Amino acid sequence: MADNTIKIKINGFEVEAFDRQPLIEVAEKIGVKIPTLCHNPIIEPYGVCRICTVEVRHRNRVRMVTACNYPVTNGIEVFTDSERVIRNRKLIIEWLLGRCGNVKVLNDLAEQYGITEPRFGRGTDDCILCGLCVRMCQDVVKANVLGFFERGPKRYVSTSFDQTSDLCITCGACASVCPTGCIKIDKLEEGTYKEMPMGPVTPIHIDFMQAVPKKAVIDKESCINFKTGGCKVCVDVCEAEAIDHSMEAKEKEVDVGTIILSTGFKLQNGEELKEYGYGKYPNILSSLDFEVLNNANGPTGGKIFTQDGRVPKSIGIVHCVGSRDKKYHEYCSRVCCMYALKFAHLIKEKIHDCEVYNFYIDMRCFGKGYEEFYNRLLKEGVNFVRGKVAEITDAALDKSEQGKLILRAEDTLIGTVRRIPVDMVVLCLAIEAQEDAKEVSHFFSCSVGRDGFFIEKHPKLAPVSTAADGIFIAGVAQGPKDIPDTVAQAGAAASAVLSLIQQKEVEAEVVTASIDEEICSGCQICVGLCPYTAITYNKDKNISELNEALCKGCGTCVAACPSGAAQQKNFRDNQIFAEIKGILAV
Amino acid sequence: MSSENGFEPRIVAFLCNWCSYTGADLAGTARMKYPANVRTIRVMCSGRVDAQFVMKAFAEGADAVLISGCHTPSDCHYQEGNFKALRRYYLLKKMLPQFGIEPERLRLEWISAAEGDKFQEVCTEFTEAIRKLGPSPVKKGVKNG
Amino acid sequence: MAYRSHILLCSGTGCVSCGAFTLKETLKTELQKRNLQDEIQVVTTGCQGFCAEGPIMIVQPDGIFYCQVKPSDVPTIVEEHFIKGRPVKKLLYTGAAKATPIPALKDIPFFAKQQLVVLRNRGLVDPDKIEDYIAVDGYSALSKALTEMKPEAIIAEIKRSGLRGRGGGGFPAGIKWETCRKAYLQRNVEPVVICNADEGDPGAYMDRSIIESDPHAVLEGMAIAAYAIGAKEGFIYIRHEYPLARQRLLNAIEQAKEYGLLGENILNTNFSFNIEIVQGAGAFVCGESTALMASLEGEVGEPRAKYIHTVEYGYKNRPSNLNNVETYANVPLIILRGSDWFASMGTGDPRENPWNGSSGTKVFSLVGKVNNTGLIEVPMGISLREIIFDIGGGIPKGKKFKAVQTGGPSGGCLPESKLDMPVDFDSLTEAGSMMGSGGMIVMDEETCMVDVARYFISFLTEESCGKCTPCREGLRTMLDILNRICEGKGKEEDIAFLEEMGEVMQDCCLCALGTSAPNPVLSTIEYFKNEYLEHIKNHKCPGGVCKELITYVIDKNKCDGCHACTKVCSSNAIKGEAKKLHSIDTTKCIKCGACIEVCTKDAIYKE
Repeated sequence: MADNTIKIKINGFEVEAFDRQPLIEVAEKIGVKIPTLCHNPIIEPYGVCRICTVEVRHRNRVRMVTACNYPVTNGIEVFTDSERVIRNRKLIIEWLLGRCGNVKVLNDLAEQYGITEPRFGRGTDDCILCGLCVRMCQDVVKANVLGFFERGPKRYVSTSFDQTSDLCITCGACASVCPTGCIKIDKLEEGTYKEMPMGPVTPIHIDFMQAVPKKAVIDKESCINFKTGGCKVCVDVCEAEAIDHSMEAKEKEVDVGTIILSTGFKLQNGEELKEYGYGKYPNILSSLDFEVLNNANGPTGGKIFTQDGRVPKSIGIVHCVGSRDKKYHEYCSRVCCMYALKFAHLIKEKIHDCEVYNFYIDMRCFGKGYEEFYNRLLKEGVNFVRGKVAEITDAALDKSEQGKLILRAEDTLIGTVRRIPVDMVVLCLAIEAQEDAKEVSHFFSCSVGRDGFFIEKHPKLAPVSTAADGIFIAGVAQGPKDIPDTVAQAGAAASAVLSLIQQKEVEAEVVTASIDEEICSGCQICVGLCPYTAITYNKDKNISELNEALCKGCGTCVAACPSGAAQQKNFRDNQIFAEIKGILAV
Repeated sequence: MSSENGFEPRIVAFLCNWCSYTGADLAGTARMKYPANVRTIRVMCSGRVDAQFVMKAFAEGADAVLISGCHTPSDCHYQEGNFKALRRYYLLKKMLPQFGIEPERLRLEWISAAEGDKFQEVCTEFTEAIRKLGPSPVKKGVKNG
Repeated sequence: MAYRSHILLCSGTGCVSCGAFTLKETLKTELQKRNLQDEIQVVTTGCQGFCAEGPIMIVQPDGIFYCQVKPSDVPTIVEEHFIKGRPVKKLLYTGAAKATPIPALKDIPFFAKQQLVVLRNRGLVDPDKIEDYIAVDGYSALSKALTEMKPEAIIAEIKRSGLRGRGGGGFPAGIKWETCRKAYLQRNVEPVVICNADEGDPGAYMDRSIIESDPHAVLEGMAIAAYAIGAKEGFIYIRHEYPLARQRLLNAIEQAKEYGLLGENILNTNFSFNIEIVQGAGAFVCGESTALMASLEGEVGEPRAKYIHTVEYGYKNRPSNLNNVETYANVPLIILRGSDWFASMGTGDPRENPWNGSSGTKVFSLVGKVNNTGLIEVPMGISLREIIFDIGGGIPKGKKFKAVQTGGPSGGCLPESKLDMPVDFDSLTEAGSMMGSGGMIVMDEETCMVDVARYFISFLTEESCGKCTPCREGLRTMLDILNRICEGKGKEEDIAFLEEMGEVMQDCCLCALGTSAPNPVLSTIEYFKNEYLEHIKNHKCPGGVCKELITYVIDKNKCDGCHACTKVCSSNAIKGEAKKLHSIDTTKCIKCGACIEVCTKDAIYKE
């Protein structure tokens, strides 16, 4: 590299640079800002706005060159703001203002250079023809949708025949580089809010701030490279050279001795509860929707807005939606009361004058410090209505209800039916087991309860074990619980697993079968029955033999053995006979 | 527990270790009451229930026999033991009348580990049915003989 | 069979459009009728250059020059010239002064002062016959280069000759070739040789004429360049508007291949070279090297920044040697006759430094307000006065000379004071104009210099690709201001403003089209500032051109009320009874000038 280094002077300061390095880069390195409108580091320099024109002197020769694409050579002297440069630059700004008088970047530049009234007047166009969008579309994205049409002063940017192009992949790259903001993407269709609760995301993103591992991923569906083969801007930008578009998702097989099932839960679909209008009316949010909206990394940056951008003046929070309800789930989802209180608290914190209504059946503040929190909220002025909400509607009965969502509920404490109009409703939807929990349980030979949550071996004696050895459970997959409980249970499961691993050896199944060689007649009935292929027929001896290591001890072979040669440890025929005799003795 | 004729049936229940026995255990821990007429024997799998066990139970004076295992088709801890039990159950249903025993005295039920309440229901309802049916003819015969 | 006489019939585009082909047929029929077809041969040749007098024919061996020949003149010519042996006087050239007819070509002043190097074969060879070209030493330069010279020697010879690019830039061809060869050897990427035949200047047709009259000279020059540089592939980028030239090139390439002078293993050497013809779509900016190469690659013909030269990274990033038609046509003679001979023509001594002076000759198309319009070839260093007044025969109708514009639309306008300036690259540039590809437009006193500037700026505005800001916006705003001045709405500060814009464009435009575009404005301001001031301050157009600033007036003393003008006036602006004085209603007059044309009494004039 050393022999590639040259020395140049910029505004009198000596600078080191690489031979043929673009001048603008060298200038930027020492903090000399050269204005430009058509330059973007990820796109090949184009050199058309000419605003970056600077003066270069070398051996008595003076040249005016564009800094964005001028390759520096040894010994040149650069002047970025000589009188001549400034005169040129000012006139170019004036020229552009004559075309696009209302463009902000131009007016900012004009102000910087002291141009108050351009001599050509102010044009009304808003495209400065910098070509960034066209080059983005053609050279980077390779979608070839945008192009220049006509020539000279009539030149303009458009699509072929000025028609909407089928080739456009709506990547938005053109709009993202446009310095004037004159390229707009038509409003996203309604409904996308539900599909993209976090707002539109870029194809390359970190799933969410708490993601583990917190690393960026590329979404194949929306990444331009997978559509056109172009772009790959990220590859150039990534200094760690970590991006490889040819990577494929791979399935990995890992051998393990123990498994903890913590497959989590799913939130009930709010649309199942027709009376609450979720998905029908705007501004009815599930608890998870609200969590997203309220998140500092969310689409609104943590500000609470209605879908049409208003700050809500009143919010209703409905507890026990789908939980403690014979129609849906009899069980209590356990966490709603407390997060509903948290929501109420946060809303009050962000919008002081917002009225918050909590509709509850019972307040279940069972944990440490929970009841105290509830009491604090009572003092904060949150409204609590004891009663199940019958319906949510937008049918207004009078003016005060117009444009609002009306919650109809019986207030059981004062004994009347109330109609409470609000701007936004949060439904505390029930926690449900994963839809495929049952399949998962079959796969791991454990079982699920009627509500779909995994069943522990024993609620007190083996709370994280399952019927299958080596399979453990933790978290909401086992049943609704809050984060502290989940963490505690996970810790227990982990230590249970560790204690197994610590033993270094596995206890073999005790209740295996055995075949008495003396008695066995070699009929082979047992061979076909064994689901574990633990029994094989020995031709020489004309007997069936059992491999104890493979036997899981179901006893099917024992039950079927016509000669009684097969027996099961601890469950021998005569033991069971004795048991039968014993229990019938009285 | 007393009935009109004062007959208290004795029912032997063979419960598989993984589902039905756990279900019964759940019924117990949940303090669900079921008739004391049901006496349980734990086997590792319903597939372990030999036809001899049923015959032995009747011979020993049981008024009815309940076999209970994991739900078909796929709940069985041993993959397919419950199907083997089902096969034997149909066989026994045909065989019992030859011994003069009403086939209603034998039942097969699928009860999962979570179904404590089902275990309770089955026990209660089965006991009631047998109570109506009266004592096992085998027992009478034994008595008479 | 030997003929006793040859009729060399010019078939350049000018003469063809005046009916040269019909004339040829008539001649042949007539000769047949008189049974002279075996004695006299009719030969179609390339452009003779004296286009103002077309159709032209020269009878050899006497060298008699006939001009403006019509088919109806043919029987007379055959009868008089070929049977009776005396030239037809009424068809001889007489000159503007209608003086004594001049029968011999060499005595006509238009031809006398010319020095033919590039156009050496014009009117001599049939451009469609390679045999004709070979007969006048054609392809012997290529043969000499391939068999006797090393590439380096050829480059040295071209460098020593001082041959500078005839396309406008005047960059020494030898240095370009050397750089191209160096880039090829360094990177080992096969170079290409490109010929720029995208002649877009209005009124200029030097390249077309060269190709049409002597296509093999261009091919030979390219082949020599290719050999010197190391290229195997060549392109001729020709305008779509030149179908005849293209046809002649295609034909020439075909014939050259048949003779083994192009294609594989030329003249049984290891050297192979193929030429492909590519048609441009007629964009003026495609004459610019980077735009031309973009167009050649199939991209939109727009220029790019030239900090990396096309000679190193040009067509498909290969080293690309781009020269103009005329430059290539010079090459064979330099190889054949040596650099000393070439350097002896023109100004300066370029043998040590090719930048020193301008050697050789230059072809100009002389048009505008000059008696002898046409294509001329003169040695470098000749004065403008000699070109315009000796060769061109001065200004028609005894009008006064006002300016001459050289270098095409983006050249400058030079006034009378510069007439004695030598015509070479450096002098023209110094005077604020340029050599360009060789357009030369003469203007008389009835020309408005502001209007001229406006015309060229309007042409350039149409032809600007619009890629860079100063060219696109600068030309647009310049045109706005010039329009305003021509309409009498100019402001005094406009002149300084135009100058400022011109200087910024020279500094900042992306390509040569833009940097040279302000030349017409800047040079007219420099030399004819008073005309601008006249427009702005007094609202008068001294040339009587700008419609908004002139009125048509009828001279009371001259008008005899003949009604000739009222009949042609399309807007019914002229009123008056028969035999009485007419008057013009200035509110209706659209200033078309039709009345002036028809008035026999010269009674109508512009004010």
